[in-house]
Amino acid sequence: MTIRMIVLGLVLLPLATQQPGRSDAAAPADSLTRARVVHLLNRVAYGPRPGEVERVLGMGIPQYLERQLYPERISDSALERTLDEFEILEMSTKEIAQLFRAVRQERQQMARTRAARDGNDADERRAPVTETMRRFRRLIGEFRQLSVTRAVLSERQLYEIMVDFWTNHFNVYIGKGIEPVLLPAHVATAIRPNALGRFEDLLVATAQSPAMLFYLDNVQSVTPGAEPPGLQRLREMRANPRARRGPRRAAMRARADSILSTLEDRLPAGLNENYARELLELHTLGVDGGYTQQDVVGVARILTGWSMNRRDRYRFVFNDWAHDYGAKDVMGVRYPAGRGIEEGRALLRYLASHPSTRRHVSVKLCARFVADEPPSGCVDAAIAAWDETDGDIRQVLAAIFESPDFWEHRGSKLKSPLEFVVSATRALDVMPGDEPSLAMMLQRLAQPPYGHEAPTGYPETQESWVSSGALLERFNVAMAMASGRIPGITVDLAKLVPTTEPHALVDAVDRLILQGGATAATRDVLLEQASETALGADARALVVGLALGSPEFQRH
Amino acid sequence: MPGRIDRRVFVKAGGLALLSLGLDPIFLTRAAYAVRRTGNAGGGRKTLVCLFQRGAVDGLSMVVPHGDPHYQRERRRVAIPAPGKPDGALDLDGYFGLHPAMAALLPLYRDGSLAVVHAVGSPHATRSHFDAQDYMESGTPGRKSTVDGWLNRHLQHAAEHRDTPFRGVALGPRLPRALRGVAPALAIGSLDGFGLRASQEVVRDRLMSAFEELYAASATGLVASSSAEAFEAVHMLRTLRPQEYEPAKGVSYPPSRLGRSLRQIAQLIKADLGLEIAFTDMGGWDTHVNQGGGTGQLAGRLRELATSLAAFAHDLGARMADVSVLTMSEFGRTVAENGNAGTDHGHATAMFVLGGATVGGRVVGRWPTLDPAHRYEGRDLAVTTDFRDLFGEVLVRHLGDTDLTRVFPGHPVDPTRWLGVMPG
Repeated sequence: MTIRMIVLGLVLLPLATQQPGRSDAAAPADSLTRARVVHLLNRVAYGPRPGEVERVLGMGIPQYLERQLYPERISDSALERTLDEFEILEMSTKEIAQLFRAVRQERQQMARTRAARDGNDADERRAPVTETMRRFRRLIGEFRQLSVTRAVLSERQLYEIMVDFWTNHFNVYIGKGIEPVLLPAHVATAIRPNALGRFEDLLVATAQSPAMLFYLDNVQSVTPGAEPPGLQRLREMRANPRARRGPRRAAMRARADSILSTLEDRLPAGLNENYARELLELHTLGVDGGYTQQDVVGVARILTGWSMNRRDRYRFVFNDWAHDYGAKDVMGVRYPAGRGIEEGRALLRYLASHPSTRRHVSVKLCARFVADEPPSGCVDAAIAAWDETDGDIRQVLAAIFESPDFWEHRGSKLKSPLEFVVSATRALDVMPGDEPSLAMMLQRLAQPPYGHEAPTGYPETQESWVSSGALLERFNVAMAMASGRIPGITVDLAKLVPTTEPHALVDAVDRLILQGGATAATRDVLLEQASETALGADARALVVGLALGSPEFQRH
Repeated sequence: MPGRIDRRVFVKAGGLALLSLGLDPIFLTRAAYAVRRTGNAGGGRKTLVCLFQRGAVDGLSMVVPHGDPHYQRERRRVAIPAPGKPDGALDLDGYFGLHPAMAALLPLYRDGSLAVVHAVGSPHATRSHFDAQDYMESGTPGRKSTVDGWLNRHLQHAAEHRDTPFRGVALGPRLPRALRGVAPALAIGSLDGFGLRASQEVVRDRLMSAFEELYAASATGLVASSSAEAFEAVHMLRTLRPQEYEPAKGVSYPPSRLGRSLRQIAQLIKADLGLEIAFTDMGGWDTHVNQGGGTGQLAGRLRELATSLAAFAHDLGARMADVSVLTMSEFGRTVAENGNAGTDHGHATAMFVLGGATVGGRVVGRWPTLDPAHRYEGRDLAVTTDFRDLFGEVLVRHLGDTDLTRVFPGHPVDPTRWLGVMPG
């Protein structure tokens, strides 16, 4: 208990000490409004771009929120022009798959050559990199950068935050097998079209997403004893090969044997519970949502046959040969015998509207937008909106933003690495492109896009992101960004901060980066550095870098 | 304690001294002091290295119960062949055997420095990776509200080498749950990349001091304590020169993340910086599909684990007398293989205790057998040793912890349940 109180005290301290000027009662009305706009842009967007606070002040908070909740009404031409650079957006899953297979073949070929030459001591690390491999690597880098570039440049900021939220909620790890082929379509067709839509649609879309079914092994889950129709034909061929006689017949029989035994070995022979469990635990009900191990098995049986077609563009397919047509009971609901894909859809509808799901997802949304430990007020408001609108995510978000809790928790959250990098990029008015430099930066900060191996996705709480090593890495990123040492990114500091006179410089940087929120002590340190010219360091870059790395900029 | 400088005063003083832009003499003095002091203490400083196998390792493939008649029967495609057969298990005691890819550990078992614990795990029923890891790291199965980790609670209550930032170190970019809490602990991605990167030393020093001042002045809460630890550690590491580290003659670590982590832990131990708890982890154990038998997917992971641990033990040589390595995993896997030549989430698993003082060369823990009647929920290997009894014994007998009730609240301390993996 004592420990909990100490930690709680540490968490709350920043509110009490860091922002003396932001107390609602003491501040004059216009500075309060300004503080609220900054808060809004920090939480509903990835932080303000230069001049954006003034624009929102002119527009009004309700109008800004309304626009963000209906992003289809916002023109996004600057982003769209940049997206033209991204080759990955013009490639179909089939084309990415062809490239993926070409890379794999080249690798295997090289491995064979190496093994033949060096025997067992073959050193994989010295393998040469071919043009195909380079092209593939560049494409994947581009794909990872794409999510960050959108977060930086899009005017539809809340929408991009929600795309990130759901991508993380329905996490898929890019490092597993053919995921690099499947993930672009997963993001484009399952996540993005539903990010502000109905939760049920989103859930169904992810449940029919090959990326998800492959990642959590559902493509491997079949009712015990099931066999694909092709296998039987192959057995018949083996029993009665068409070649008439002699050695040819023996050779064909041997070949059919070897294909058969390989197939039988690789053939899924039964249930795999992986997706069923994470569907209940992570995607819908939550770990305490009231299900049992028996329910996990029931869900796995219902979802047998939900798979993908590897031959044809990797689309979702329902294999009725793999499906368990027996009766099942899940959480007290009977699924009668003889039902196919429709019982899976019924199950997803049931899960999407279950009270445990509402609570689980609402708490997670409030943790993202309000506080690591969400207060019950905003959670209750979110749940009520969910009830009223049958899981309309847009209305759930509107309820969270209207709750007093949302406005009371200003500056209480630590930025995740993604939020840190994107807000810094936006503050510096940078226009990132398709070079994967921001994605690589996130790799160094331990949050690479699509890089979480476990299905939980990246954590939301500050304890997960604050550590000694992580802070040092943030300093490095801050300095690299301020001094223009990041490839593919141009920072025009002279335009952003026209003066180098120390006091004016610190004022300008405080406004630009910290929205006037620098403490007196921080200003003293910045001023001292701005005045120091003995080392010939660029004072501008130094002060901007320090501000980006300052304690104030790590929170929002 | 003479010579001890309060952390906050220390950082502030450092900040002021750095106004002159020269090298800060206090830090150098402190670094030298730390090295000299611990150097004087000689050996005797104990270190515990925790290695978490994230994703639930299949304990029945890692330590094979080849003497149990149910083993081969339930695992048509993933069973490890019996000892003596091609790719067969490496026999330990006539009943259990090591996975053949773990041959590197066999000499350590034979010389008594490796103990194997089987059928160990959490009493909690969860088969969720996330929850089970959380429970194993918080040290309080079934209680989610615990804010800190069991390793951190040990650090809070044991007073020895409290004055070094290197007392609790995790190799990796993020601090694991087990080390989180009010006692200081460092997360280090890599020793030679730890700190600020700048083209010239003089620029780097200047930046460092500026950031130190910023954080001493304006940071609060977790950010303040983490940054203070970071700055202190960076200054001490400067004297260590990690990029020049050479392991003992003839030792080479696998070029994997685990290999690099253990190599750096060995370096920290040899540098006498007061390292008491080191933590590292390794993924890739969640083998739902095509797990493999004597060769294949899981074999590759186990080989990496075994060769990394063996390299670590040989690199430290005589220093292993003061070191214990404890491996752990959130749960084990189903006794029966699944439909994809893999295994699903189960219950008990196996763990290793490796160290000079280990009472090893034995497989310990009561074996519940794979008989379906004795399985947990009719399907999984039952837990006969609560992980807290294993971890508790190591904390008390290796690190001299005197208050286990605070490390594992709600779990009565009962040495009769200990397995005797360390001399009592």
